[in-house]
Amino acid sequence: MMKFKLLAGAAAFAVLAGTAVAQESIKIGVNEPLTGPFAASGTYVTNGARIAADEINAKGGVLGKKLELVIEDNKSNPTEAAAVTEKLVTRDKVPVIMGAWGSSLTLASMPKLMEYQVPMLVETSSSGKITTSGNPYIFRISPPSSVEAAAFKPMVPKMTIKKVDFLVINNDWGRGAAEDFGKMLKGENIQVGLVETMDQSAQDMSAQLAKIKASDADTLMVTTAVEQLTLVLKQAAALGMKKQIITTGGSQNPDQLIAQAGSAANGTIHLATFAPWQPDSTPNPQAAKYFIGEWKKRGFDFPGVTESFRGYDGIRTIAAAIEKAGKPEPEAIRAAFWNVDVKGLNGDIKFQKQGPSGKESGQSVPNVYLIKIDDGKVVVPTM
Amino acid sequence: MRRFVPVIVVALLATVPLWLGDPYILNAFITTGIFTIAAMSLNLLLGYTGQLSLGHVAFFGIGAYVSALTALGFDVELFDGFHVVHEPWPVIYGFILAIVIAGLCGYLVGKLSFRVRGAYFVIVTISFAEVVRLVALNWVELTQGPLALTNIPPVTLGLPGIGYANLYGKTGNYYLVLGVGVIAYVVIKHLVQSRIGRAMIALKENESLALSVGINVTRYLVLAAIVSAAIAGAAGSLYAHYLRIIDPDIFLFLYTVTMVIMVITGGKGTLAGPVVGGALFGAIPVIVRSFAAPEVQWILYGAFMIAIIFVLPQGIVPAIERWFAPRPSKKQLVASQSSVSAE
Amino acid sequence: MSEFLQHIANTLILGGTYALLGIGLTLIFGIMRVVNFTHGELYTFGAYFVFLISSVLGLNFLLALPVAIIAGLVLGALIELLLLRPMRGADIDTTMLVMIGAMIVMQNSEQLVWGGVAKSVSTPFPETPLVIGPVSVSYLRVFVLVMALLLIAATYVLINRTKLGKAMRATFQDRDTAALMGVNVRAIYTATFAIGSSLAAAAGALLGPAYVISPHMGDIASLKAFAIVILGGLGNITGAAIGGFILALAEELGAGYVSSGYRDAMGFLIIIAVLLIKPTGLFARAERIG
Repeated sequence: MMKFKLLAGAAAFAVLAGTAVAQESIKIGVNEPLTGPFAASGTYVTNGARIAADEINAKGGVLGKKLELVIEDNKSNPTEAAAVTEKLVTRDKVPVIMGAWGSSLTLASMPKLMEYQVPMLVETSSSGKITTSGNPYIFRISPPSSVEAAAFKPMVPKMTIKKVDFLVINNDWGRGAAEDFGKMLKGENIQVGLVETMDQSAQDMSAQLAKIKASDADTLMVTTAVEQLTLVLKQAAALGMKKQIITTGGSQNPDQLIAQAGSAANGTIHLATFAPWQPDSTPNPQAAKYFIGEWKKRGFDFPGVTESFRGYDGIRTIAAAIEKAGKPEPEAIRAAFWNVDVKGLNGDIKFQKQGPSGKESGQSVPNVYLIKIDDGKVVVPTM
Repeated sequence: MRRFVPVIVVALLATVPLWLGDPYILNAFITTGIFTIAAMSLNLLLGYTGQLSLGHVAFFGIGAYVSALTALGFDVELFDGFHVVHEPWPVIYGFILAIVIAGLCGYLVGKLSFRVRGAYFVIVTISFAEVVRLVALNWVELTQGPLALTNIPPVTLGLPGIGYANLYGKTGNYYLVLGVGVIAYVVIKHLVQSRIGRAMIALKENESLALSVGINVTRYLVLAAIVSAAIAGAAGSLYAHYLRIIDPDIFLFLYTVTMVIMVITGGKGTLAGPVVGGALFGAIPVIVRSFAAPEVQWILYGAFMIAIIFVLPQGIVPAIERWFAPRPSKKQLVASQSSVSAE
Repeated sequence: MSEFLQHIANTLILGGTYALLGIGLTLIFGIMRVVNFTHGELYTFGAYFVFLISSVLGLNFLLALPVAIIAGLVLGALIELLLLRPMRGADIDTTMLVMIGAMIVMQNSEQLVWGGVAKSVSTPFPETPLVIGPVSVSYLRVFVLVMALLLIAATYVLINRTKLGKAMRATFQDRDTAALMGVNVRAIYTATFAIGSSLAAAAGALLGPAYVISPHMGDIASLKAFAIVILGGLGNITGAAIGGFILALAEELGAGYVSSGYRDAMGFLIIIAVLLIKPTGLFARAERIG
């Protein structure tokens, strides 16, 4: 309770302090939802970003200067997200931005990036349109559903799946997942049955689940944020559903599921993009351990790490690009993004070209892990 | 002197891009301007007929979607094998269609919801906005649903044969919003000062009396709803082509609340009210952002809303008018006062 | 067939909670003519109260419900005294805006205090469901349904069998005459708002553990409550209770047999349909104009 007050205070102080030390530091804009429906996730990502900035500054900063995060709240609202981008670029003169969590928030910021020619690292949004609409200022480290589906493909034959129903959150993320995974599964000769949606604020999914329970599919794939996922698992268990449940999306957190859904989480399988339960088996164990240690030291909830690591990776990628650019200027940073090779917490961050030629956006392809919850514990099945 | 106040205000506003070097503030001016136009349209219903619509954002959003879809084109299968294909049209047609279709929706909603009054009317209008939002969210083939309509072209001005000018820049958009705002103001002014406007006010003051002297209440209410919805649709169109992406979030309840706050704090039933309220509630988020933590910004916003209603329940403009009313010699002060607050 | 039976069981479970959400709002709506936008926030308040008592303080889960009800009464009375009493006589829209302001303040205060991350409450009920033939429900939800029905019955008795209830009904029918007959209308308003608020807090306290608790849980609850109240007719307790079950049925069948995307549209479509057929709500007495 106090913790959050302190945090809020710290954020206010950081904004005030920002103007005073402008000359000696390199600014990075952070455009995240800190209030409104996505506040929890935006706060996680922002905290991850803070850890990265502090770590880099403790080691002497970038180009001999300290990094300074200019954090602004986009209020989970696209109009505000665009205004925040405008403010960060024109008021705070940041040469690069990280943001903006939700796809609509990122999409609303994109015309501003074109207008001011400032690059943005996209850490969470999953909509395919972000990298395919011909905005050369976009560099994304989170996987769109098509990338995730492709990573899942080789694991499919090793599992027993005959027919799949989908239950997805009714936004770009959920609908994208149902479409991309459906396409991939059909290619593997697996039938696709129902595709049911749930409103992003819905708390009762028993109607959809009752319908799915009565279908002849053996597997249910669910895509939504962890809070709604908890409810889906609880309500599926209450209905006595016996299907294999696989979740996609990577920001769901098995720890939180175990804590909140209890035995309802047993037997469920999850596609995750960061596996902090076994830091040694992540692509970059040293960084993973440091990040997890620091996260705990600051008193944040452990379940937040599967969301916040993207903020951490995002800032480290931006720092690497600034280092490569040799100067904190937007055009140089944009060009340098194409040459970064950062050991991220879930694999190497390198950007590939996507979208119409001549104005491609960058997309990095992260690792995807398959994990299972057995008896209230997270296991990484060997395949 | 009083009738020159709007002219002075517009003249002052017209100079803003010339001396304001800060694009962030200019952006705030433009978005505030768009919502102020929507608030002016709401004022026509709320202020002059006394009906509180909390679903006004529906017309705003319909205007935005109609305009964007006209400019982008679509291909929809209505029923088996029957496709409706629309090729992209110039933005100006989108703007006009937004006004027409939003007005049409205003007619239908007006016909339906003016069967009830008071709290019922409020909830019916909220329901209407929710249904429209859910259609925008789920009719993916047409609206792209949550995948959002992106790459919406900016407004193009010009005539065939003479040439077009794209309004990518802020200054162009600023003058466009100001121009539409002035037109909306003039339309509303003429409407409320006509016989129709007097009938509306009469039925707001006393509906049964208005009925008894032969005013066709529903007809005037529906007329107000049409004009109001059409102007809101125009504002929505401006929004779509300025922000250049729209998704079902455009139907956020908060946007309706923003419009209502602007009208009530400025002074409902006054022509200047929504402009003054718009300026105030456009400025507050920008000001509190500079010093308060995110949640605290909202708490201050809400608290300010309550405080201003407690202190000035009739709104700012009527309060200023009352203050200066008994002293006609000081009318010039009214002018400077309201032009200051309108900025 | 078994799917249909499951939908009916879900309807009963969900309808009970909707009914509970609706009656608090309809009381305030009917008697005070206030569209209470803080209803959803009082619901959230009740849910966080349970979290505070059972998860933070570690006290008994069953103790949390009565405490949350009392806390809802107190908070409701405070809101009425501080915000609504000074506004008496003001327009419906001005009052409504004050309530929206209060909603914004309350929601963000909740986030400031508890953070945006959702909380969950563990309950003493078994996690394995209760299975009857083809139908399966969780014990917790059955408990919630029973408690909801008890609270609705208690409210019904309060309104129809007590002196306070009589005064409330008199105020509902004709405020001025009631005042003339010696009813302390101001006190009735405070009592009404407090009772309505405590019902919202009770709904939150019951549903918080069944769902997850977050600062935004009240948004959707408010919208559903509005729909239920329109269905049942302003100020009609029985109507609101039945309206809750009708809404749940429409949502269940809509999601089960039509399209889950439009599940949340069902309530609003019903409102529009009701308006076309009977503008004053399905179970309403005549509504005065204005």
